[in-house]
Amino acid sequence: MSQSPDTGGRRDLAALIIAAFLAVVAGVMLWDSARLADLGGYSGVGPATIPRVVAICLLGLAGWTAVAALRGDFPERPAQNPAPVLWIVAGLALQMLLLHFAGFSVATGILFACTARAFGKTNLAMTLPIGIVVSFLVWVVFSQLLMLHLPAGPLEHLIFAKG
Amino acid sequence: MKHLVLASLFAGAMALPAMADYTIIAPANPGGGWDQTARTMQSVLQEEGISKSVQVQNVPGAGGTIGLAQFASQNKGNPDALIVGGYVMVGAILTNKAPVTLKDVTPIARLTGEYEAVVVPAASDIKDIKGLIDALKANPGAVSWAGGSAGGTDHIAVGMIAKAADVDPTKINYIAYSGGGEALAAILGNQVTAGVSSLGEFEAQVKAGTLRLLAVSAPERIEGVDAPTLKEAGLNINLQNWRMVAAAPGLSDEQKAKITGDIEKMAKSEAWKKQLADKGWMDTFLAGPAFDEQLAKDEADTAVILKDIGLVK
Amino acid sequence: MSAFDFLMQGLVTAADPMMLLYALIGVTLGTAVGVLPGIGPALTVALLLPVTYRLDAAGSLIMFAGIYYGGMYGGSTTSILLNTPGESASIITALEGNKMARKGRGGPALATAAIGSFVAGLIATLLLAFLAPTIVKVALVFGPREYFALMMLAFVTVSAAFGDSALRGLTSLFLGLALACVGIDQLTGQARLSFGQPELLDGIEVTTMAVAMFAIGEALAIAGARNQHDDSVLAVKGSVWMNRQDWARSWKPWLRGTLIGFPIGAMPAGGAEIGTFLSYAAEKKLTKHPEEFGNGAIEGVAGPEAANNASAAGTLVPLLTLGLPTSATAAIMLAGFQQFGLQPGPLLFATNPTLVWGLIASLLIANAMLLVLNLPLIGLWVKLLRVPKPWLYAGILLFATLGTIGANPSTFELGMLLGFGVLGYVMRLYGYPIAPIVVGLILGPMAEQQLRRALSISQGDWTYLASSPIAATLLALAALALIVPLILRARGKGEVLAQLAGDED
Repeated sequence: MSQSPDTGGRRDLAALIIAAFLAVVAGVMLWDSARLADLGGYSGVGPATIPRVVAICLLGLAGWTAVAALRGDFPERPAQNPAPVLWIVAGLALQMLLLHFAGFSVATGILFACTARAFGKTNLAMTLPIGIVVSFLVWVVFSQLLMLHLPAGPLEHLIFAKG
Repeated sequence: MKHLVLASLFAGAMALPAMADYTIIAPANPGGGWDQTARTMQSVLQEEGISKSVQVQNVPGAGGTIGLAQFASQNKGNPDALIVGGYVMVGAILTNKAPVTLKDVTPIARLTGEYEAVVVPAASDIKDIKGLIDALKANPGAVSWAGGSAGGTDHIAVGMIAKAADVDPTKINYIAYSGGGEALAAILGNQVTAGVSSLGEFEAQVKAGTLRLLAVSAPERIEGVDAPTLKEAGLNINLQNWRMVAAAPGLSDEQKAKITGDIEKMAKSEAWKKQLADKGWMDTFLAGPAFDEQLAKDEADTAVILKDIGLVK
Repeated sequence: MSAFDFLMQGLVTAADPMMLLYALIGVTLGTAVGVLPGIGPALTVALLLPVTYRLDAAGSLIMFAGIYYGGMYGGSTTSILLNTPGESASIITALEGNKMARKGRGGPALATAAIGSFVAGLIATLLLAFLAPTIVKVALVFGPREYFALMMLAFVTVSAAFGDSALRGLTSLFLGLALACVGIDQLTGQARLSFGQPELLDGIEVTTMAVAMFAIGEALAIAGARNQHDDSVLAVKGSVWMNRQDWARSWKPWLRGTLIGFPIGAMPAGGAEIGTFLSYAAEKKLTKHPEEFGNGAIEGVAGPEAANNASAAGTLVPLLTLGLPTSATAAIMLAGFQQFGLQPGPLLFATNPTLVWGLIASLLIANAMLLVLNLPLIGLWVKLLRVPKPWLYAGILLFATLGTIGANPSTFELGMLLGFGVLGYVMRLYGYPIAPIVVGLILGPMAEQQLRRALSISQGDWTYLASSPIAATLLALAALALIVPLILRARGKGEVLAQLAGDED
């Protein structure tokens, strides 16, 4: 989420971080495959073989990325507004945390409102009720008509007492 | 404050009396055997008026152990929650070193079961189970067995066969497929020496003459199936891939008795019998102490054979 | 009675007005649920199957066929319009389809998808009806070594979808392959890269990953774009219908897609998505307008959509002739068939002709009904793009999470959705293509397992991999597809090609 894309130094830094990330992923894979028992059996290719091959390729790609970063080969990145992105991420996180406690409608209504906020509907007092009502209608259709199991909370229990 | 309001609303909702409706957890993805068992139970329980509304919830993963763990932790003392499971779960708990086992729930009854069958392609040189065992003894690596996932019932059956034939179970060349269907394709395509899976997976092919049925894992011959048992071939094996239903942990005796009664009513109903016949499932209903005993024996035997194959240390 | 008489009889039964109504209801329901991002055909069919139980055998069969085709088709609409494929087989459709939609050509994209699906469904259903026993024999020849060779070919040709940078395309692919290693190793039962988390034991759910990478990643990227008020998406430009040139450029890809998708769907371990990959690669190679690929080439929608639908009919080949369900959707269908007393297997066509031909007639009717329903709706669907962004994206995220919650309501799964959504956003930001990471996740485990199975069967002999004519041919094709572009590039033509391939964000 870099904010000013055009200065060469920043671009390199981000790409170098990507290279480091790839190397870390490769390292984790090598570490994990080391503790696997060798059960290759008759094939000679065990459960650890493919992860090792992938990890080595990732190390190579990490090196390539680092070189490309130093040479400034990465394309320009469009300007970004962090706030809307954070609103959506927050909405998803809240939905995840509240789902089993508050039920589908409330948790998803919050996500709805946060997403609308990210795209410029700033009045949460309006979007939140709309989101909860829409989510509730969706919940009714899917859980009552189609028997899909969606977590119910106080709101759902209040209206459909039999759950 | 908000929390208080929510909590009291929640408590109020929970206190409503009309909650005699079952929720069945199918610890697998839609389409699999456990899911179908759960959905069949759903339709029969509703049809027979045993429960007014039944919901099925899929909690897939890791041979059912994820669903089992979630079920045990979220439903303590809840008399409306059921979970479907089966023999595969017994093995999966051991191979995955699952922290929650069948001891953490209240097994109610075994519902259906299938015996394992050993087959070879019709074009194979192997004519009977003795021929297959001879080939296995001569060179275990050259006999490739197709079956379901590693550590599942099919793999266990092959391990038991090798052990009973005095072949080192770690030396079997078992090719795991993601399900009986894919394994069947490999057998039909002559990709492997032999195949092991539930009898039902092979039955239609055996009837059509594209597969040769060598033996079944039942204790005695199965009516209408033209094959010897493994016992007859001198291999002392009795293995059933069963499916069961269990209730939540921490139930009172009355609650357990009520659920057992409901399930028994379902299993004895005509609708259930018709569903089993449609799906080709065998009715192996078993409840009460007899089922508990069977379960304990299966758990002990499975632990031994998985160690022998080398999947559990 | 001959097969043809049975088919005619089935069609006459199905042409009853009441039956047509059931078909219409089935198609409508299937499309309505299938169109929601995150709800793929398997879940759609599982949810709607009970609706059919209340009818008689003929009625439920035809409604069921409608739901099946509706659910298969529904996913492409949102892929094209909103770049939010809810299942792996629609990912390729989104690549070109969404580019077309952004240029105001959503109408023709939807039309070529709908008509292509119809053509493919028609041809494939007829092939199923008359050639199923033959096709299944060919499909069974495919063993582990042949599948491995096919996966290699798919890997190489999918690189056509990698965008302009080999480095970023490969990085995305290998990240997908790394993620594919997570979970219990199917061949030995050992847990890999699971770090003691039980939720990771079954690996990473492709649907979750696809929804996160596409739907959520897309929403984040659009929200984050600084000039989001300067709307670059055109709802409609020109006609919503296909023009003469669209037709001319679509019909060959439809046929080619059908021919690629059907046999791959019929293979017990083929999978619908591989047909779409291969079809896309083929169209990209054969097109007269290579400059449009990556910028909204109609061939790139027509071919893969046809392949997707043809492979859906192909899936029925092993299902009906062997009783083999080769996908989650097929497994649920098997349960559905059993409800109608239809016991799939090698003797099915002989013992139960009325039901089988009734099913095939139902599929044909449902296929036609899908077209009848969807062509007039296209004008309506493209208006979806005129929904103000706050409501549109709020709705997309609502349904995308609904699909994940419905399939598995666990906090962990939602956490993965969020995590991969952010990863998808970051990848978009830095110019990494999204398709390869999902492709790697899909193809990786298949290729690994088939390789290890083949080597187990041969007891470690690597020459076995190329020891059958089919496997050797496929491997040779893969090698050619890998080497020829390298040579071309070395001779200087590659730069042009790479520029033409266009950027894919």
